[in-house]
Amino acid sequence: MPVLRLAYSMVALLALGLLGACVGGNGSKAGAGGSTSKPPVLNSMTLTVEAGPAAGSGGINHAYVTVKVCEHASTSCANIDHVLVDTGSWGLRLVGSVLAANSVALGAETDSSNRNIQECAPFGAGKTWGPVALADVTLAGEIASNLPVQIMDDTGASAPLPATCGDASMLINSVAGFDANGVLGVGVFAHDCGEACVNAATPMPVYYGCSSGSAGVCTAENVVLEAQVTNPVALFAADNNGIIVELPNLQNANGDATVQGTLIFGLGTQSNNTLPVIGLSVLGTDSNGDFTATYNGQSTVLPSWIDSGADAYLFDDPSIAVCAGATIFVGYYCPAPAPLSLFTVNTGVGANNASSTVQFALQDPTTFAAGAVALIDLGGGGGAARFVWGMPYFYGRSIYVGIEGRAAGSYTGSYFAY
Amino acid sequence: MMATVEAMGCRHRLWRRMAVALCAMLPWCGPVGAHLGGDLAAVEADALQLQGAVQRTALIAYDVQEITAAAGLTVREYVTRSGTVFAVTWSGPVPPDLAQLLGSHFARYLAGFAAQEHPGLKRSLRIATPDLIVESGGHLRAFSGRAYLPALLPAGVQVADLR
Repeated sequence: MPVLRLAYSMVALLALGLLGACVGGNGSKAGAGGSTSKPPVLNSMTLTVEAGPAAGSGGINHAYVTVKVCEHASTSCANIDHVLVDTGSWGLRLVGSVLAANSVALGAETDSSNRNIQECAPFGAGKTWGPVALADVTLAGEIASNLPVQIMDDTGASAPLPATCGDASMLINSVAGFDANGVLGVGVFAHDCGEACVNAATPMPVYYGCSSGSAGVCTAENVVLEAQVTNPVALFAADNNGIIVELPNLQNANGDATVQGTLIFGLGTQSNNTLPVIGLSVLGTDSNGDFTATYNGQSTVLPSWIDSGADAYLFDDPSIAVCAGATIFVGYYCPAPAPLSLFTVNTGVGANNASSTVQFALQDPTTFAAGAVALIDLGGGGGAARFVWGMPYFYGRSIYVGIEGRAAGSYTGSYFAY
Repeated sequence: MMATVEAMGCRHRLWRRMAVALCAMLPWCGPVGAHLGGDLAAVEADALQLQGAVQRTALIAYDVQEITAAAGLTVREYVTRSGTVFAVTWSGPVPPDLAQLLGSHFARYLAGFAAQEHPGLKRSLRIATPDLIVESGGHLRAFSGRAYLPALLPAGVQVADLR
């Protein structure tokens, strides 16, 4: 039956051709898994919890990756190590002196008046300040081309911060400020400020148009979404709907010197990032990027999020003793007796409204091993009107982060899931 | 006590500077209110400018003056019966200018900030001295916090009421 076989083959070829045409037609659409003709790109990379860079500040529970940064459309590139993976912010920020030491000079992003765009980005404690620049950024095999990133200006090369950005002593621009050479914000949003910085009647004190040079003068201004500092994952050609952070359990309950895990790009786009069908709690977030939490049976509904940039569980419980005296853990919780067992109920906002009770524990951190930087069961944050699932929550889990507006299976971001 | 005296002594100059700086910074234009430890005399004179933006609530032990901004920044000031601001709370897409809100107490906040054992991304910062507590935190798009003077807390007022 050679004729029939040939006919089948032709039908199959035709079908493949049509399929190819379909994919090609939608090739630029966000969330597409990539062309069927090319093998999938490498979408995973190692992340390591370890001591920070030499010029760091002795932080704990910091998960780092190495980021390849290139001047746009250039072969002038550098691999920047010890960039902190932060699921609680959006966009890549690199310390200016580190880029300079690696001979990378990123092109400035300018506004319609040809002024340099600079940003004052508030973090929980402190602010970053410096120009927005354009880079081609590679993570594993994924490329974010012409990505707006912030250069944290620790050398005063750009216009000084305006009064509306706050006091200069609140800046955390340096390697010591973050205990890192940069911050990789891979949370639930694509753009760091969002619509609030696009259409404000009076521009927010976040983006500024600045005259150039170290004596430049800055004026707050609105900036379109595409020009805002952007989560690089959102600009990948594929695997751009979210990430997974996978970390193993600690080897020692009283802390490890180093822990290796995996940062995976895309959700449901490749064989290594499938969303579990059973047992996954998907917690939709509101326009701030928060789901809600109630702590230990209390009635107060707190904003909550899962945050690899936070070194501990952060929440308020005046009944737990706070560490004092000669310990690096001053201000963290020192429960006595330890361990202290607690629970929190997380509930998603919007369509992804799962509810999930999470048991966790706090140890007395003064019993942790000296020199260990990967620490589980660590809490702090007295007085906080929020519940932050910091790094201790990541050990032994896969944490899924779904980007705003991007679909993965039946779920549309923004959400956290575990 | 010392802090209160200092704040009162400089309030007129401070108020003008605060108003100018805040007009440049905030989505609404007008004085944010008395800074921590200050009094309300100057606020009365400027209240007309804020009109609907300010809501005052009189409670048994103190008054709450709430200022709501267009962009979502809310500042609440807690005022004793004798007219001293003993607490300030805030929430919004960016943190407020703490130099403005904390007034003469800002220097001690900065000292506490610089002395943190683990600086950087820590999303919740608490600076506690015997006479000044500042609790602030959040992430891009959502910040909140409060500052208060424990010695001036009216009798019967719980810290948990200051939200």
